[in-house]
Formats: sequence, C-alpha cells, structure tokens
Amino acid sequence: MKFRCEREAFERALGLAGRAVSGRGGALPVLSGVHLVLEGDTLRLTGSDLDLTISVELTVAGEQDGVAVLPAKLAADIVRAVADGKVEMTVDSEEAHLSAGRSEFSLRVIPADEFPQLPEPSADAVKIDATEFKDALRQVTPAASADDSRPILTGVLMAAEDDGLRLVATDSYRLSVRDLPGSTVLASDQSVLVPSRSLNELARVLGDDDDLTLRLGEHDATFEVGAVRVTTRLIEGDFPNYRGLIPSSQPNKLTVNREALLDAVRRVRLLAQESTPLRLIMKDGVLELVAVTQDVGQAQEAVDASFDGAELTVAFNPEYLLNGIEVTGGEEITLETVDELKPALLRRVGSDDYLYLLMPVRVS
Amino acid sequence: MADSSGPPATADRPDRLRILHVDMDAFYASVELLRHPELRGQPVVVGGSAERGVVAAASYEARSFGIHSAMPSVRAKRLCPHAVFLSGDHAHYAEVSGRLMEILRSYTPLVEPLSLDEAFLDVDGARRVYGEPPRIARLIRRQIYEQEGLTCSVGVASIKFLAKLATDQAKPKASPAGPVFGSGISVVAPGGELEYLHPLPVRSLWGVGPKTLAKLERLGVLTIGDLARLPQATVISALGEGQGRHLWLLANAIDEREVEPDQAPKSISHEETFATDRHDRAGLDVELVRMADAVSSRLRRHQLAGRTVQLKVRFHDFHTITRSVSAREPVDTGPAILRAARQLFDQIDPAPGVRLLGVGVSGLVDGAVRQLSLDDLMEQDWTQATSTIDDIRSRFGEAAIGPASLAASGELKLRRLGDQQWGPDRPSTPAEPIDGE
Repeated sequence: MKFRCEREAFERALGLAGRAVSGRGGALPVLSGVHLVLEGDTLRLTGSDLDLTISVELTVAGEQDGVAVLPAKLAADIVRAVADGKVEMTVDSEEAHLSAGRSEFSLRVIPADEFPQLPEPSADAVKIDATEFKDALRQVTPAASADDSRPILTGVLMAAEDDGLRLVATDSYRLSVRDLPGSTVLASDQSVLVPSRSLNELARVLGDDDDLTLRLGEHDATFEVGAVRVTTRLIEGDFPNYRGLIPSSQPNKLTVNREALLDAVRRVRLLAQESTPLRLIMKDGVLELVAVTQDVGQAQEAVDASFDGAELTVAFNPEYLLNGIEVTGGEEITLETVDELKPALLRRVGSDDYLYLLMPVRVS
Repeated sequence: MADSSGPPATADRPDRLRILHVDMDAFYASVELLRHPELRGQPVVVGGSAERGVVAAASYEARSFGIHSAMPSVRAKRLCPHAVFLSGDHAHYAEVSGRLMEILRSYTPLVEPLSLDEAFLDVDGARRVYGEPPRIARLIRRQIYEQEGLTCSVGVASIKFLAKLATDQAKPKASPAGPVFGSGISVVAPGGELEYLHPLPVRSLWGVGPKTLAKLERLGVLTIGDLARLPQATVISALGEGQGRHLWLLANAIDEREVEPDQAPKSISHEETFATDRHDRAGLDVELVRMADAVSSRLRRHQLAGRTVQLKVRFHDFHTITRSVSAREPVDTGPAILRAARQLFDQIDPAPGVRLLGVGVSGLVDGAVRQLSLDDLMEQDWTQATSTIDDIRSRFGEAAIGPASLAASGELKLRRLGDQQWGPDRPSTPAEPIDGE
C-alpha cells in the first residue's frame, strides 16, 4: 500500500474512525487498530468495536493498492503531530512508514487478516432529513440510560408512528419522545432499538445540510453521511411500553418563559447538592424554586408564570429538570402535573412534536 | 424540671417496655472456649499471664474461685493455680462482635454498642414485627446461641439504665459449687420501676463510685429509694449540679437518654443456608423473589434506599462468590432489587449445587427522599403497592402478604425476618437451656 494525502484530511479521517475503536482492543487486539483499504485513489479507514463501526472514505493520491491495520491511537497521534502539508504512507507486510516534512516514522502493523469481517450495509436505503434528525437526536439521546445493566434502556427506539418516525428514549427516570411527521423511514409497525452511543457518534458527524441515508439490516443499521458511514448493532429486546406512562390528562398546567426558567434553575440548583432535589412551588402567577442542602445553605427564586390548577409543590432532580428544559426548546414551555408523585410533562407551547416526561423526587 | 421538692408524677416516665440491654456472658472466655472446646468445664482466664498482666475475662468456672476481670493475673493464679491462662485475641473478638452487632441490627437499626460485648437496643419500632420486647429478647438470645454458640443476658425495661441494671439479675452467677445459670432475661415491668429500683443499694446506680457513695452515706442514703426521697436541691448541693441532678433523676427512674446508634447500617441483606444443596435455577429464583422482598421491606422500614445490590452465592464446596451491580438511583422496592439480583444470578451457574444464597443492598441513603422511577409505574403502581404492603405487614405481620410466586397452597412461605438467616433450623433443641416462654 502506498499513498499520499494532506495531513489535515488524514487526521480528521483517523480521528473519526478512531472513535469506534475501543481503548485496548478488548478480546480482539486487532480491534485496537484502524483498518485501511486503498483502491485506486480511495482510502477507506474503519474502526470498530463490533457494536459500533465507523468508516470514512478519503480521496488520496494512491500509488499501490493494499490493506493494512495500524495501531489507531498511535497513528492518529503521529498524524496530528507532524508538520502540515503532504503525508506519504507506505505499508508492507511488517511495517508502515510515514513521512511528513522532515519526520520519518516506522510502525509495526497489526496483521490485517485478523480484522473481523464486518456486516455489509443493507441495500435498502432511505433518505432522512438530516437537520430534523440531528435536532431529534439532541432532544432524545440524553434521556437514554448509561447503565449497561439495563441494555434495553441504553437504546433509542426508532418506530413508525402514524405517517412519520418517532424517537423514544428513557432511563426510567425521564422519558423523551420526539415525532418526525412525514418521515417515512420505517415500514408501518416497524421499530428498531439503536444504541444511544452510536447515535451520539452519528450526531457528531452530522452537519445541518448533509444528506443522511439509513440502511436497515436485520441486526444492524447503517447511517451514511457524506464520506462517513456509521454502522451500529441493533439492541435485541422489547422496549418498555412507554405509551401507558404518558398521562392522558394533567389537571395542573404551568406556562413559563423557557429562558427565564432555565436561568433560575441554573442558579437555584447551586444549593441543591448531594442529590437533594429542587422544589417547584406552583401557584397562580408565579413559580417559586427552592433548594435546601442541609449544613450548606438554601436558595430560592420566583419566576413569572401562569398557572392553571391547584397550588402544588413538586420536587425534581435538578439535572433531569434542567436537561428537559434545555432540549424542549421554544420560547414558552408548559409543565403539566397531576400531583407530587406522578410524572410531570414538559412541552413546548405551540408544538406537540416533542415531550419530556419526568418523574418527581419523593420528599416525605 | 421546675419541681425540686419531691418525686415527679409517674406520667413523666415512659410507661412501656422498649429498651433491651444485651450483654454477652463472659464474652472473651466464651469465645475462646469455642476455639478450645477441650477446655469446657475448666476455669479459663483470658488476659496477660505475664508478671504484670491483668485478667480481661474469666469463665464462670474461674469466677467460682473468686477470679474477676481487672484482677492482676498473678493474684488469679494464686486463687486458682490450675486455671488455664489464654492470651487475648482482640482481632478475633472484634470479628465475633461485629457479627453479634449485625444480629442485633437485624431487629432494629437503633443499636448502641457500649463495648464489644454489650449494647443497648430500642425495640419500640420492632414490636409489630417481632412481638413484645421480652419476646424479642428471647429471639435474640436464641439466634445468638444458634449462630455463634454464645450465650448472653438481656435486661428489658422502659429506660436504658433500668435495662442495664436488670441484666445483672439475669446473669449466670459463680458459686463455690460452680456456675449457676441465670434466668437469661430479666424484665422490669412498666409501672413497677420504682418498686424494683428503690430497695437496691445506691451504689448500683450508674455513675456512683466510692467518692460519691461516701457523700451519699453522709446524707444517710443507703438505698436508691433513700436518694429518690431526698429533695432534688439537697442532692444537687451535695453532689453538684450535673451529677446531683442526674443521679436523682435516675433514682426516680427517669432516664431520658435515647439509644444512639453509633453508625448507620452500611448494608441490609438477607441470606439463607439451605438444608440441602440446591441446583435448580427456577427454585433458586423463588428464593431470590423472597429475599428481594424481605430486603426491600426492611429497607423501607428503616426508611433507607441503596444504590448497590449484591448477590452472594456459596457453593457446595464452600466456595463463595459475591457479585454486585450499582444503579444510578437508589432502590427500595422488591421488584427493583429483584431485577438487579436476577441479572447477577443469570451469570452464575447453580449446577454444582448452591448451599447459601443471599441478597443485599448497600450504598444506603435516606430513603425518604427518592427519585421516583417509571418502573414504579410500570410495575403496577408499585409505589402505592409497597406502602400498602408495609401497612398490612405492620398490622398483620410479615407473612400476611408477599409476592405471588411465594404462595403455596393455603399459606405464604414467607420467611419471617430473622428465621433461617444463618442456617437451616436445627432439628433438636440446643443443649444450652434457653429461658422458657
């Protein structure tokens, strides 16, 4: 294998593919490497931990086709460090030689035939509106669980809903639901569970104007954005029946300016330490936020709001509440409640394509 | 206390039994006898046997020769030349003590250890589950004997200091003819506190040393009753504000000191040794359901929740493994604990034979403030259900309600808390007499 390319483009490609490379390779040492395939002037770089695979195409000045696996982190560090300009790479069966400016590096390569065969993306391709999808990911993925002991909840449900696509995630303390009406990506009644980690990686590479293509296989999904391909294993299993959790009617409804609430929560939560909750006292015309941490101090702030219902105090984990307010977006939002123990609903006024359901903290 | 002229009205005294004082019998010596069964029946002295050593503990046989703790070992040897002297092993005693305190904490979180072998318990909140305090005292004595092979004496009273006094009366006694077993449990009946207390010599009062005794004798005080009948002001002027008031109140059976647990429990767990090794996953799963339910019930009773769920498995060959998993938010419901325990158990092969299974929750936090979970809703309004369960249990006992998978025909096989926690029931009664009902 032999090619030349610009250092900057090579660095970006190695960085992207490297994001799927797990630290020390785990059970398969070869997975600590980045897989390079050169055909003509096209270099494809691939990193994988078997659950997530990121593959990047880069146009180079190819001289000799070939396949190689380089230690991912070291290769990325070298290419980041060398002088800007042209980089030349030559790989034989034992070593890779990289020269840039007056620097010369020789690296032992990892035997390429040990790199696992990765699933071929399905031929069925559907286009997704990248701007909308990226926005939906921003809203939904934070609610997915990071707790590997409940694998189902580490995924984001993508399901056909009416004539569109719905994304759902929950860590069992809050639930995020976003509808993308008119986005006919899945067949009706079809749903898949995509690891949120993979979607977060996708969101990193997704620009607003990019074309996004989804190829859905039986056990995996591939997202194509320009020269980048993100393939992810799908999570097997049934997502919880979240529909039954969303209360159909909420007697209490608070309407408040989102930025004002966001700022107040950010201030008051400074005194909600050591997992003490933030109390929201909802009354006519005003929302009071109170945080008290024993032996530390307390904070309170009033925010103008309109409230329809019976005066009520509900306590929330400040981080969960803040996250909900942030991702809901819009100028005005509503917080609907039943009582201090039932789930509360955050929505944006004038839009019903997103909801954030949040369980209170019980204080007794 | 504004009135200082005479004894206050009885209404000021707590009127029901709630305090247990548990004191191990000849603790160090008894622990040594477990390791040296060949010495049973012989006078055994634990302590420094060197020139300046002192006796740390003496078996009741040794006490029959007049040996007692804090006596110079040289003198003990003169009193009983054939006594067996053992050097102490504090680390071992502390380990046994830790297990004893765990037993006590399984009845109530309100355990105040006074030393390695002595503790106060406030069992007021435990009576609904375990019965009246004298019954709890019996359960504790039996469990300590069955699990550790050690005996203890228990004083039961409405206040701390009376419970401690009562323990002495329950103790085994040394006599020239050898040890005489005590009653094991001594109860000061509510309402009978003064009757019990007043005939006792004033030196029995906690905090009365030789100097104080001399001062009191100058006032003509010989019994506790004498002291109680003096005006409080007289006692205070003789003994000073602090001690005078304190002793006068004690003499009137007023002791407002609460049992102060020196540490919050670090974990709550239930484990069970099976009578025969178990190989079937399904059967063991039923045990998991039972244990998760028991642990959750105890967590909620103590108003605690925990982040980490542990599973303990001891195999037929005593090889023991523990596995744990931590959740982001603390849990206190049966289903949540069960879910974690099952997840851990799924990774274990019971085929070689499981001798012991245990489920525990650690990383405990205040359970009163808890992030609610959607699981609570999905598990059929489990939040409401658990409070109903807790209500039912507190009214009708632990076995009144339990998970459906534990239901056998006609009864719930719900293990009463504490039963079988440390091993299968013994087929025969223990050799050591435990006090009668």
